[in-house]
Amino acid sequence: MGVLEHFKECKTLLDYLRTLPADVIEELFGFPSPCLAIFRELPKLAQHYVLRILYVEQAVPQAVVASWVSQANVKEHTQAVEALNRIRVWNEASMPGGLPGWILHHLFRHNLKVALLGGGQPWTNTHNMDSSDPKARSIKDLDAYALERWEVMLHYLVEKPQKADSVSRDTITTLTHAGLMEQDANSYPTITNEGFQFLLLDTASQVWYFVCKYLETVRTRNLNLAECLNFLFSLSFGTLGKDYSSEGMSEPMLNFVQHLREFGLIYQRSRKAGRFYPTRLAVNLSSPSRKIHLDTDKHKTGFIVLETNFRLYAYTDSDLQLALVRMFTDFLYHFPNLVVGNVSRDSIRQALRNGISADQIISFLKMHVHPEMIKTSTTPNNPLPPTVVDQIRLWEMERNRLTFVDSVLYNQFLSQRDYEVVRDYAQDIGVLVHMNDQKRTVVVTKNGHDDVKKFWKRHSKNS
Amino acid sequence: MGREGKGWNGRKSKKRGREEEEEFHYEEEFDQDDDSVQEGVPVAAKRDAEAAEEGASVVPDDEFGAKDYRPQMELRSDHESRPIWMAPNGHIFLEAFSPVYKHAHDFLIAIAEPLNRPEHIHEYKLTAYSLYAAVSVGLQTEDIIEYLTRLSKTTIPDGIMEFIRLCTLSYGKVKLVLKQNRYFVESSHPEVLQKLLKDPVIQECRLRHSDDEAFVESSITKTSGAAVLNSAFSTTNNPTSSTATAGNSNAINGNSGHTTENGGPSTNGESGPTLPSDITDYYSKIDADNDDEEEEKVVSFEVIQDKIEILQKRCIQQEYPLLAEYDFRNDTRNPDIHIDLKPSAILRPYQEKSLRKMFGNGRARSGVIVLPCGAGKSLTGVTAVCTVRKRAIVLCNSGVSVEQWKQQFKLWSTADDAIICRFTSDAKDKPMGCSILVTTYSMITHTQKRSWEAEQTMKWLQEQEWGIMLLDEVHSIPAKMFRRVLTMVQAHCKLGLTATLVREDDKIADLNFLIGPKLYEANWLELQKNGYIAKVQCAEVWNPMTPEFYREYLNSGISKKILLCVMNPAKFRTCQFLIRYHERRNDKIIVFSDNVYALKHYAMKLGKPFIYGPTSQQERLQILQNFKFNPKINTVFVSKVADTSFDLPEANVLIQISSQGGSRRQEAQRLGRILRAKKGAIAEEYNAFFYTLVSEDTIEMNYSRKRQRFLVNQGYSYKVITKLAGLEQEDLHYKSKEEQVQLIQQILAARDDAEDEERIPGEGRGAGPWGAFGRRSANLGSLSGADDAVYREYRKNANSANKHPLFKKFRQK
Repeated sequence: MGVLEHFKECKTLLDYLRTLPADVIEELFGFPSPCLAIFRELPKLAQHYVLRILYVEQAVPQAVVASWVSQANVKEHTQAVEALNRIRVWNEASMPGGLPGWILHHLFRHNLKVALLGGGQPWTNTHNMDSSDPKARSIKDLDAYALERWEVMLHYLVEKPQKADSVSRDTITTLTHAGLMEQDANSYPTITNEGFQFLLLDTASQVWYFVCKYLETVRTRNLNLAECLNFLFSLSFGTLGKDYSSEGMSEPMLNFVQHLREFGLIYQRSRKAGRFYPTRLAVNLSSPSRKIHLDTDKHKTGFIVLETNFRLYAYTDSDLQLALVRMFTDFLYHFPNLVVGNVSRDSIRQALRNGISADQIISFLKMHVHPEMIKTSTTPNNPLPPTVVDQIRLWEMERNRLTFVDSVLYNQFLSQRDYEVVRDYAQDIGVLVHMNDQKRTVVVTKNGHDDVKKFWKRHSKNS
Repeated sequence: MGREGKGWNGRKSKKRGREEEEEFHYEEEFDQDDDSVQEGVPVAAKRDAEAAEEGASVVPDDEFGAKDYRPQMELRSDHESRPIWMAPNGHIFLEAFSPVYKHAHDFLIAIAEPLNRPEHIHEYKLTAYSLYAAVSVGLQTEDIIEYLTRLSKTTIPDGIMEFIRLCTLSYGKVKLVLKQNRYFVESSHPEVLQKLLKDPVIQECRLRHSDDEAFVESSITKTSGAAVLNSAFSTTNNPTSSTATAGNSNAINGNSGHTTENGGPSTNGESGPTLPSDITDYYSKIDADNDDEEEEKVVSFEVIQDKIEILQKRCIQQEYPLLAEYDFRNDTRNPDIHIDLKPSAILRPYQEKSLRKMFGNGRARSGVIVLPCGAGKSLTGVTAVCTVRKRAIVLCNSGVSVEQWKQQFKLWSTADDAIICRFTSDAKDKPMGCSILVTTYSMITHTQKRSWEAEQTMKWLQEQEWGIMLLDEVHSIPAKMFRRVLTMVQAHCKLGLTATLVREDDKIADLNFLIGPKLYEANWLELQKNGYIAKVQCAEVWNPMTPEFYREYLNSGISKKILLCVMNPAKFRTCQFLIRYHERRNDKIIVFSDNVYALKHYAMKLGKPFIYGPTSQQERLQILQNFKFNPKINTVFVSKVADTSFDLPEANVLIQISSQGGSRRQEAQRLGRILRAKKGAIAEEYNAFFYTLVSEDTIEMNYSRKRQRFLVNQGYSYKVITKLAGLEQEDLHYKSKEEQVQLIQQILAARDDAEDEERIPGEGRGAGPWGAFGRRSANLGSLSGADDAVYREYRKNANSANKHPLFKKFRQK
């Protein structure tokens, strides 16, 4: 699944869960935090239904549920029912009288109650810790750490001579599995078209995509997907800047923690530290509006100034950002804190050839636009010069000038007359695509083929 | 970097900014016979920072293929409050949103050429010429370096400092002054004069009254330029002139007493707390320097008048180019003329600024002022004349603009018919004894036999010692023609006016040494923001070629190709649609076509008047009058004769259906036709429209991209329109395939010369006027005015039957 398709289908957590096999979901329901996370993601009406029948220990007739909403809102009703069905929060059950009914999944019911009302095992081992961390981390430190780790990985993607030591084997496996890089035998992995598209996404979407892809590979690492998910959900309910104990975790799970640590979702001073901090990347993972605002100086402001004369100035010294901008820009000069470049037809076409779409370039530019441009723009929501935006789109369009029509070719007519008859007939019924008088060839659309064929049979019979 | 002798020799850099690398092959290298002009350029001016950098080849490329300057410079800790980056190859980048932008801008415009000035970050380039200009307006080498250092976010590379020193040290030291009709070479550095006089050639030029004569020593009180300008204003009794802008009133107040208290930036109320004070302090210091009244010891020697040119050339070879200055206030030999500005003439701030540069030290400097079309070049010129108040000669490039200059003089100044006279082939006022003479370049340089009357006038003209010479549209005149004009007419001071200092052949640099340095160049975008020129929406409309046309297009020769592009029915329909649309809005529309065949065809098909080369002067005026005042004539078709100096203040829509290759200058000038600020249309975002119609997938697309480069660099943006809403609903010509096929037959049947670009009869290059109207092979460079004798006066044709073809057509019916 490509990056774009992924976001078409896996926009939300629910969408993602739907792609999982039933037994994994079943297992997930065994933990309170996934239940709460799922509950939070449900449509409003569905949440309402769940709460209403949370304490009803038996099936509720479907007709009854339907009667809770007025006729005007049937659409919302079906959506809610659909959402609940899809991840099997409730299942169909036949009532004693033969009526169809709904019954909540018993594990889900139990664990949601736990999540909402308390009780059961603690989700994380905060209480087991003897003392507070002597070297506690501030939120700012954590953000910086998360960003650094994440950028190391992104940078690995765009680096030319691949330095294999900057990221671990596991990350590379995930990257290749996700289709962001590809690796021939004996050669360094290189970035794919998908990879370019991935780079232009905002951080939150990148994390989401990457984690989804990573989870697809956990099986091969002897990890239990449901357990991992549970851990991620627990993390997402964690508090930023608070430390949690890793005591009592199984060996594979500790491994998992190490991976998350490498991606920057978790901060841990050392492998044996016994405590860890979730970072903003993890905390925001399952929240519905996945927006990550890392509180670091580096990313506080946009850095790109795009001029109407197709000049691009990038106020940055980050190699990663430059590598990203470089994908669609020709650089001219490199000053200590500024890079001067041109956006040209060639540079954009280069990007398009790499599989990046004009929309992605534009949204990337928009995301990183310099505050000065927003300040002076008459349309602050759209601070980029419209002519440049149009032009980038036009450059994309000019690559897609050919339109394809499924057609059928008629040739080798025995006489000019035959040719003309068919040609005229095709023209009359409006299915003629192309004709060549010299070569006596006629091309008709696929839809018109039957008619023309019938006509030709009739014609040759008659003559 | 920049070791002497390593890369200094290339006349122009082989490599300018990468975006400019793809220069047009067809416009390069055509008149090589101009070597004499090249000689007139000092060696120092041939230096180029970029070439030096190439030669030194020490700039490594970074991992992304950009020139990596990081090792050469260090970021300063307070870089955020400083506005510029300085690249070792002379390119300067300026943040337009910096709080000290104003100071930096004023300074950079004085020392460097603006390359592009869009909204946020501007690019300048230091060149030998620009530094020459900086020195000639009074900046000192060390001042330039010092101030650049203060403005820069980083340390300045050594190479560029060296470049500045090399280019400026010998400039501006020696002046050529005309006093009481005697020429003096003057300098405040006696050692420089000594050195020059050791040269045998210069010695020969020296006029000696006795053998052992030493230098004439004298002291000059320099008066502030603003004071001079001020006196011009004060005679007008105009209360508003002194309130023009904060900056200017500062200067004006300052010079009346002591310039030291030239408040500069702090009074402008824009110096935020973040400004490093050294920037503003230094700025006011430099500013003050400019206007200071100071007493200076100078030495001079007199030279023989006939040998001026030899002397000038020699001095340039000696690396001491002569700056021409005119001390007009102490010139008692030439009578003052009685001309003042009218009270109604109000100078805009930028006009005043440009004139302050010209009269910077109380004398008149020669040079070029660059203002966009419609920004009031003529008022600037008129004011200059009123300031000098000596006999003035105005040169322009067509009969129509002669009339317009006369009107401008009458509009802004107290001059009347008695003292203004025109000298053209049509209007021969009695020129003897007049104070202001308006004529054309071609009248002066005419080499063939003249009428007796004209002969007399010429004689008189050559005998005169003119106070000031105004050169209109100075960019369009080939260097050779200039030299002829300048040797024939003696003027103390020369002021060139132009809108675009770009030429496809790069000969523009020679102007620096023929007239003088560029004194001022306005920023288009700022003028537009302040409402001095119209806000123009530029649009490029793409028209698909119909299949039939495209087939022919692919199979034809280049000239026919161009014709097919222009005659593309889709383009015709778009044009018709746009005309209808704008006529309904009561706009006034000019349609430009370089191609005469297309021009006639479009105009006749649509029933609109048109003007092109053969149209007589009278008829032109008639059409223009109608266009101005007749509410029924809202559209006029013109060929490239209207590119320059056709003043059509009413027009606010311009449609370009065919143009001349990739000429940036033509594009800018055409835009200039609609730039005059429009009244009352403030409410709308744009009040003028500039459409370029291009046929898709043809060479026009390429041309149009090249043409736009100048304006895009000035901050204009072109909107690409691929589909016009409502076009299909309109009932337009060439809708059916039959009509289109018929049209293609017509085109293919058209004689070969129909598809040729227009040769304006006056443009007959040396071959004589009029009649010689055939097909010539010429490169586009010569069409863009690069060859000699381009602007010739139209002879009124003896054959008066040559009426407007439109009327002819009707008569035949």
